[in-house]
Amino acid sequence: MARAAAFDLVERDRAPVLALRGDWTIDTIAALEADLRVIGEKLSVNAVVDVADLGRLDVAGAYLIERTMRAFVGGAAIQVRGEHVNAARLLEAARKAGAGPAPEPAGPRGLSGFFEQVGRAVDGVVQETLETVSFLGETLSVLAGLALRPARIRWVSVVHVMEIAGLNALPIVMMLSFFIGLVVAYLGARILGDFGASVFTIELVAFSMLREFAVVITAVLLAGRTNSAFTAEIGAMKMRQEIDAMQVIGIKPMEALVAPRVMAMVVMTPILTFAAMMAGLFGGLLVVWGQLGVSPAMYFTRISDAVPEQHFWVGMAKAPVFALTLAVIACKQGLSVGGDVASLGKRVTTSVVQSIFMIILLDAIFALWFLEMDW
Amino acid sequence: MSADIAIRVRGLATSFGEQVVHKDLDLDVRRGEILGVVGPSGCGKSVLLREIVGLQAPSAGEISFPYHAAHGIEPRMGVMFQDGALFSNLTVLENVEAPLREHTNVSPALRAEIASLKLAMAGLGPDAHHKKPAQISGGMRKRAAVARALALDPELLFLDEPTAGLDPIAAENFDRMTQDLAHALGLTVFLVTHDLDTLHAICDRVAVLYGGKVAALGSIEEIAADATGWVKDYFSGPRGRAAGRSAAMG
Repeated sequence: MARAAAFDLVERDRAPVLALRGDWTIDTIAALEADLRVIGEKLSVNAVVDVADLGRLDVAGAYLIERTMRAFVGGAAIQVRGEHVNAARLLEAARKAGAGPAPEPAGPRGLSGFFEQVGRAVDGVVQETLETVSFLGETLSVLAGLALRPARIRWVSVVHVMEIAGLNALPIVMMLSFFIGLVVAYLGARILGDFGASVFTIELVAFSMLREFAVVITAVLLAGRTNSAFTAEIGAMKMRQEIDAMQVIGIKPMEALVAPRVMAMVVMTPILTFAAMMAGLFGGLLVVWGQLGVSPAMYFTRISDAVPEQHFWVGMAKAPVFALTLAVIACKQGLSVGGDVASLGKRVTTSVVQSIFMIILLDAIFALWFLEMDW
Repeated sequence: MSADIAIRVRGLATSFGEQVVHKDLDLDVRRGEILGVVGPSGCGKSVLLREIVGLQAPSAGEISFPYHAAHGIEPRMGVMFQDGALFSNLTVLENVEAPLREHTNVSPALRAEIASLKLAMAGLGPDAHHKKPAQISGGMRKRAAVARALALDPELLFLDEPTAGLDPIAAENFDRMTQDLAHALGLTVFLVTHDLDTLHAICDRVAVLYGGKVAALGSIEEIAADATGWVKDYFSGPRGRAAGRSAAMG
């Protein structure tokens, strides 16, 4: 068992002697720190350390002794009295290595520091935007190149991504959309019913699902589900130098990694959106049927009579644009991952947040534009 | 006698499904020695290390620490993993402080001083203290990893391929540092390596793992003298001969 560390300060032959007792190890020295500071004042140049009664000693203990003595004996070796297994050796090792920790590098402080940080953040956003736009341009030019030479398209990758990121997302997309349709119809039946206009519930469901909800729900879900996966996959490949290996072998990461993902997403997102529309309309149907007693046949007749086809196309037209935005952001963030783990986490977060933000923003722009065009 | 044995492995067996890694493996590591463990890739060197430090349970057999058991103390171990395994979100100094923060109650100031002392002993100056592991070279990362392994003053130090990926001069410096530290601190070192120069330069004894057992154990001269099969190929190949020559000259 470890014995508690202790010491006595005595005077022998007119020289102060620091007599050590007990075990001086990393586990025991914490209690001594304050005491040693106090006695430091009583030591003088000719101080001696007595290790005859010292138990176990380790580097941390040796360092503490050395630190206490250093103030008086300077850089010179400490005078040791008594026999000990490793005291002389460890004190010497501690003396030779002795260098304190470097001061922390000063970060920006105060008001100017605050402005500096704000400036950096704004600059970061501007740079990030420019990089993403230029990545979009690069992606489009690679896609154009592939369109001219379709033999270079990696169909296996494309189909693989279509399955993983598209087909496998179908159940969750339809389920979410179904519930949204249900809620919209239920709210409509209640609130429009107060005005005696509950028959318009069908229009409400059809308009909102076709124009907005189906495509936005699909895109937001893909942003969470697929963007994080794309960014993490590509980022991990970047960290393990797989991207570098590709480039050395002559495989273009833009063609092998980015293009298949973009193509698969642009194909699959409209399909998912269509499925979401149908699921949403079905959710609405259940409520209208149960609450208002409208038969399914009546429901669909009403939709085809009262809701022009263009609303369907307005919704569908947004799907490929959202898909391109998502895939480009995911791949760009993945390729921006640095060498350490923290940057992977940061990039995955950025990828998801940025793409959800862009989807809502684009949707707002689309809404304005389509309404002004009277579509 | 058994009091001089730091690590005792008896009847150790390890298998992953069909694949048998160790079969009835016996090994004694003496207190205060630097034991080099060699063997072909996939012979279970790193697995043996992981089992001794307790990261992985063997399928059968036992691992004991006779010296520590005789003195009634827990063996304290420090491990340096192959690429350092430094925590990437902490600075180098914080990495070395981490074990101290977790297991002791020394004041923050003293903790930082002890950590910087360990880094200095491992050959890293104050320039590196506040850098992240990603910002320093592979050799420096390995030194920082050794400093972290030594943070709590362990008696047993485990090094997994310490010189892999270092240039010959850096590798030699690293070997010398290992030897100096082992002598100054009285460490028992369990060193898994492929580096023949390391074996010649600093290992007191060498254990050759082959076919799931310790195929040969002794000083490198003894092993090289009556080597057969794989061991012979290993030590008398062109690399083995060159390392032996340079060690003899040095």
